[in-house]
Amino acid sequence: MKNITLPMSKDTARALQLGDMVTVSGLMFTGRSRFHIRAIEENIFPPLDYQAINCFFHVGPVMRDTPDGWEVVSCEPTSSIRFERYGADVVRRFQLRTLIGKTTMGARTAQALQEVGGVYLSKIGLSGNALRDQITKVRQVFFLEELGKTEATWVYEVDHFGPFFVAIDAHGNNYFEQLAADVSCALPGIERDLGIPADYAFTNVNPDSSANM
Amino acid sequence: MILRSTLEEAMYTAMRTASVQMPPDVRAALEQAAKEETDPMARRHLTVSLQNADLARAGKGLVCADTGFPLFFVQAGAHTTVEGGFETIFQAAAAATARATEECFLRPTMVDPLRRSNPGNNLGPGMPKVELTFSGNGDGIRIIAAPKGGGSEIFGTFYNMLFPSDGVAGIKKFVLESIVNSCYAGKICPPAIIGVGVGGTADLCMSMAKKAALLRRVGVRHPDPLVAELEQELLDAARRLGIGPMGSRGINAVLAVNIETAVTHTAALPVAFNAQCLVGRRWTAMITADQNITYTGDVA
Repeated sequence: MKNITLPMSKDTARALQLGDMVTVSGLMFTGRSRFHIRAIEENIFPPLDYQAINCFFHVGPVMRDTPDGWEVVSCEPTSSIRFERYGADVVRRFQLRTLIGKTTMGARTAQALQEVGGVYLSKIGLSGNALRDQITKVRQVFFLEELGKTEATWVYEVDHFGPFFVAIDAHGNNYFEQLAADVSCALPGIERDLGIPADYAFTNVNPDSSANM
Repeated sequence: MILRSTLEEAMYTAMRTASVQMPPDVRAALEQAAKEETDPMARRHLTVSLQNADLARAGKGLVCADTGFPLFFVQAGAHTTVEGGFETIFQAAAAATARATEECFLRPTMVDPLRRSNPGNNLGPGMPKVELTFSGNGDGIRIIAAPKGGGSEIFGTFYNMLFPSDGVAGIKKFVLESIVNSCYAGKICPPAIIGVGVGGTADLCMSMAKKAALLRRVGVRHPDPLVAELEQELLDAARRLGIGPMGSRGINAVLAVNIETAVTHTAALPVAFNAQCLVGRRWTAMITADQNITYTGDVA
């Protein structure tokens, strides 16, 4: 399996294909909803060198405070599609070449990744405990007091972290959108066999908007 | 009389165990699904998740790091008495939740909905959520602790007030569309257990859907043959969508479709949908009047 050194180069990103399984090694920062909203709406974000650390890991880890420092208990990637409202702006602002999360992102973020030369990596199964062991160092934490352990931004050093699969490539293609198109093709036949008429419509008890046009 | 300390211990241990151990029926269903899938990615999603659960069981982490909403389903008998009265159950649930959070078996996830502030202990108005019901003539208490993950709750909850003229076809269309939408890109972490409520009021309908998803052993059909047939029909349909584990190409988007019904208004056909994710977290504690606690991953 291919291991990619972070920060990922444009050339490496553009050579990756949908469905490729990869691990990554190097530095990454974490964030969830609060990171996205604050970075774009309030211009608040950690003072990191985003050229050196440009892998954004969507996660709310379980962290334990020990006498020897912070310990990761488990870290399961969280659903990235929730951040689509801000995804493209965050990718452009920090020139992110690697996003790691769960699910996928939408068309606007895919477009931004294409411009920047970046990819979106999606998780394979639940693997929060294996991922924990691949985090070799918890480097820093930001906004812990304001946001709490789950929404804070952590900086991790990781080694052969993953594997993940390429769900959005650097050319604007999305693994899940292709799959959804196939599901749409299968749906009419399944509905027919369930006895749902092809022209079935739920009862509408509100003004018919098409009648006003 | 059941003591406060017994309740606290049982609720804490059930919640902790639910966070680190997959129920045996759910695990068996996932192992079966892994055998069925042919796409390498679909299979890998499942084998990786099962290995992750093995690590959690061995004391190395959690079944899933999103321990979600802390829920307790409590059932008492006609002769059950509790030290300090039944209100003690709610206090014990809060103490158990705070302790499990403090010890990192639950992630501090519950926040104020408007301020988004996080007290760090998963406590606040409404949480932990405790549902207290009464059944039978016993003097014990049954507790099911269910840390309900965000993915399945956030992306897998739908409600639709249909009308009698929408018919069973309307129920089927609503459920099938909800499965397609919620499984897209693995949002609800499939293979999911789908709970469906039909009838009642809006809140009863959703409550039935949630309990159908969380509290029924995988593979058990509804006792009413009409409902059981609808469950099977919808499960068979879901398996033909071409969606597999974590939204991949496969067969097992859904492990079970569980329907519960209640009588409703003659003008109405309410339908609710609530999903449970692949780890199906729940653990049961049974307490007797003489403070004996037994635990099981099964639901009866």
